[in-house]
Amino acid sequence: MQPLEYKGVQETLYREVLDNGLEVIVLPKEGFHKTYATFSTKYGSVDNWFAVGDGEAVKVPDGIAHFLEHKMFEEPTGDIFATFASQGASANAFTSFDRTVYLFSATEQIPANIETLINFVQNPYFTDTNVDKEKGIIEQEINMYKDNADWRVYFGLIDALYHTHPVHIDIAGTVESIYQIDKETLYRCYETFYHPSNMLLFVVGGVDAKEVFELVRRNQAAKNFKPQGEIRRLFEEEPTSVKTPHKVTKLPVSLPKCMFGFKEKNTGLSSEELLRQEVTSKLMLDVLFGPSSALYEELYESQLISDSFGTEYNANPGYAFSVLGGDTPNPEQLLARVKAAIEQALESGLDETAFERSKRKKIGGYLRMLNSPESIAGEFTRYRFRDSDMFDVLPLYESCTLEQANARLLEHFDFNQLAVSIVEKPEA
Amino acid sequence: MTLFERGQFGRIRLHVLPTKRFKTFAISLFAGRVLAEDTVTETALIPFVLRRGTAATPETKAFRERLDDLYGAGFGFDVYKRGDSQIVQFRMDVINDQFVSSNTPLLAASLGLLGEVLTEPLLENGAFSRKYVDAEKVTLTKRLESIVNDKIRYAAERCVEEMCANEPYRLHPLGKLAAIEGITPQSLFKQYKTWLGEAALDLYVVGDTTLEEVTAYVRDAFKLADGAATSYPAADVTHQVREVHTVVERMDVTQGKLNLGLRTGVAYGDDDYAAALMYNGVLGGYPHSKLFLNVREKESLAYYAASRLDGHKGICTVQSGIEIENYEKAVKIIREQLESMRQGELSELEMSQTKAMIANHLRELQDSAYEMIAYDFNAVLSGKERSAEKLLEQVQAVTAADIVRVAQNVQLDTIYYLRDRKEA
Repeated sequence: MQPLEYKGVQETLYREVLDNGLEVIVLPKEGFHKTYATFSTKYGSVDNWFAVGDGEAVKVPDGIAHFLEHKMFEEPTGDIFATFASQGASANAFTSFDRTVYLFSATEQIPANIETLINFVQNPYFTDTNVDKEKGIIEQEINMYKDNADWRVYFGLIDALYHTHPVHIDIAGTVESIYQIDKETLYRCYETFYHPSNMLLFVVGGVDAKEVFELVRRNQAAKNFKPQGEIRRLFEEEPTSVKTPHKVTKLPVSLPKCMFGFKEKNTGLSSEELLRQEVTSKLMLDVLFGPSSALYEELYESQLISDSFGTEYNANPGYAFSVLGGDTPNPEQLLARVKAAIEQALESGLDETAFERSKRKKIGGYLRMLNSPESIAGEFTRYRFRDSDMFDVLPLYESCTLEQANARLLEHFDFNQLAVSIVEKPEA
Repeated sequence: MTLFERGQFGRIRLHVLPTKRFKTFAISLFAGRVLAEDTVTETALIPFVLRRGTAATPETKAFRERLDDLYGAGFGFDVYKRGDSQIVQFRMDVINDQFVSSNTPLLAASLGLLGEVLTEPLLENGAFSRKYVDAEKVTLTKRLESIVNDKIRYAAERCVEEMCANEPYRLHPLGKLAAIEGITPQSLFKQYKTWLGEAALDLYVVGDTTLEEVTAYVRDAFKLADGAATSYPAADVTHQVREVHTVVERMDVTQGKLNLGLRTGVAYGDDDYAAALMYNGVLGGYPHSKLFLNVREKESLAYYAASRLDGHKGICTVQSGIEIENYEKAVKIIREQLESMRQGELSELEMSQTKAMIANHLRELQDSAYEMIAYDFNAVLSGKERSAEKLLEQVQAVTAADIVRVAQNVQLDTIYYLRDRKEA
């Protein structure tokens, strides 16, 4: 167990990679009552085509990573929620594009809860009956999202940006695709992606690091995992262009929802370059579109945006894009105004005072995030699966220069790379 | 457990929790008044206008730049109802100076800003700025109109609205659409003065500070007329249901949203509150609860099926998202769960699991500054001082007989169903 000290933020992490390949991180938080633990696999909705070592490649139905997440909670002895509840732990899980995360938070019986977390995730139990039963539940989950306008406009945008990359597919799949899932395919995916060498355990809160490591080592030593070859994730080639420049979805909403984004042309950056690109892009977007920007005020005054307007930036090795937008009475006008502002910024560059202010704001936001064990575990894992370190983010914000942000601005905003997603109400 | 230190400055009650556990100072200001039809809309609009600018910093952009300069201090507000009160909550969140290099103490600057927002708004000819009032009327209108966009929330709010049709609680905390148009900068300013003069005011600070320090900052920052602090009225939670009210509403939806409203007759301050918490927990508070197990796991009818307790109004609500045609089946199963609670079909396991979950929640709220504030504010609201430890003790002592006693007084009041437009 190796200590990693981050003096500037007064945190010390402990890290160890076990013999079977499992990476374990513990962050003791003095004075905290609760312990929050996540057990994550680098396996998400985009991993639908893969091979292990020199084995044959296999394609699996959309939504299977999420389906697997649901099914992991069932054990031969019953529902694992009941065990967690008896031990006073609140448990949950989620699936994103690139990872599946199982978690609990508890204030008591921490060793028992950590063992339960590891054991249930390392003990798949799929039968034809329990797999079939789950389909009705997930169908209702998919239908719930169909009625959710915010979800539809966001995923509509990603679908508009990408032709072949599976990031454009709904995380839960479709009602049709989940009905193709059977227990054999679930086991196949499980064996591949739930190998300890593809997983990360993160424990944060009022714990003693040494005790946690001893427990996890003992637990893992008692289990037998055959070494596994490298997982190869396969993707069809993604064209540079966007798939659908303008996508419209009809739902009953009070005002149209409009989101648009720019798709990066260059992918396959090193983890270091990717992290810098993410930090610089977020800063640059905040200078141009944040609540204290001139454009924001202008758009708000002319009633083209409301408090829901915002931006985000997603950076991954295989896909990277910005997202801008919110509710607006007039998507076309909003777009025209934003485009004009971008064109002007491309000419003149970013304002230096505004840039320095955004930097302070981002630094403050980062430090605030460190109050929340949930955010720390989530962010750390997200960055770790991209081979980066969450604690590098703060120095990157501090060292980012105006020149770098301006260079990012010029590189990112290419109107050929723009796609728009709109949700509006059906014609009467 | 760390305890809030209490103080007072004029009409503001001060609650300060000195702790070094967080990297920030968490600040909340609660301003509450009676929820009433003729004031609800203007009260809701007030914070929207106040956040646009102050006498010292009239421009919104400059106001937001001030926040950014405080290392991106978080600033937000919320308007909600608790019991028979409408509450405006301002929230600030700022970094502890020791992590950054700053010239002015960030806590002083933040409380200074909050004091300005509340007590020194931008004025034009003795009223609010017309530009800001007009713009925020539009924003409030959009917010009220957008409630329908989120069907889960919409259905939950409609259920309570139907259930409390003859009580102030039917009102949306953001007010009434029809009342917005008539608001003028003058009428709103007048309402603001009344609001500020009569509201119950509570200021909370959690972080590495002291009551003395906060009191000194507040004295400098809040320009309020003197007077006695206002307390919250006790909410009336007794209500006799004559017959179950069923409402079906149609809209273009894929999934049906089924909501049930129950009257518990138990208020936050009552001795039976711990038993009511247990009732809700066993019924539908958790993934081990009856609703989750029977509606979702046994029948695969839904992805979510849960219940929620509103202790300040004595209401328990059930919510679920189902296939449109499964309405009768789902209602039947949910009613069976209510009946089984009444019959005392409570296993040892259900009891112990639910106690463990509630205990976990009560312990872990101490790791979040805002959750500690929210918990403590319950005492202010209800007039019932009861620490999290005390409540935890009471929960541990709840017996099956206590839950049955609560269950037998629970009355199903309203069944609300949001469904598609297709006629059966």
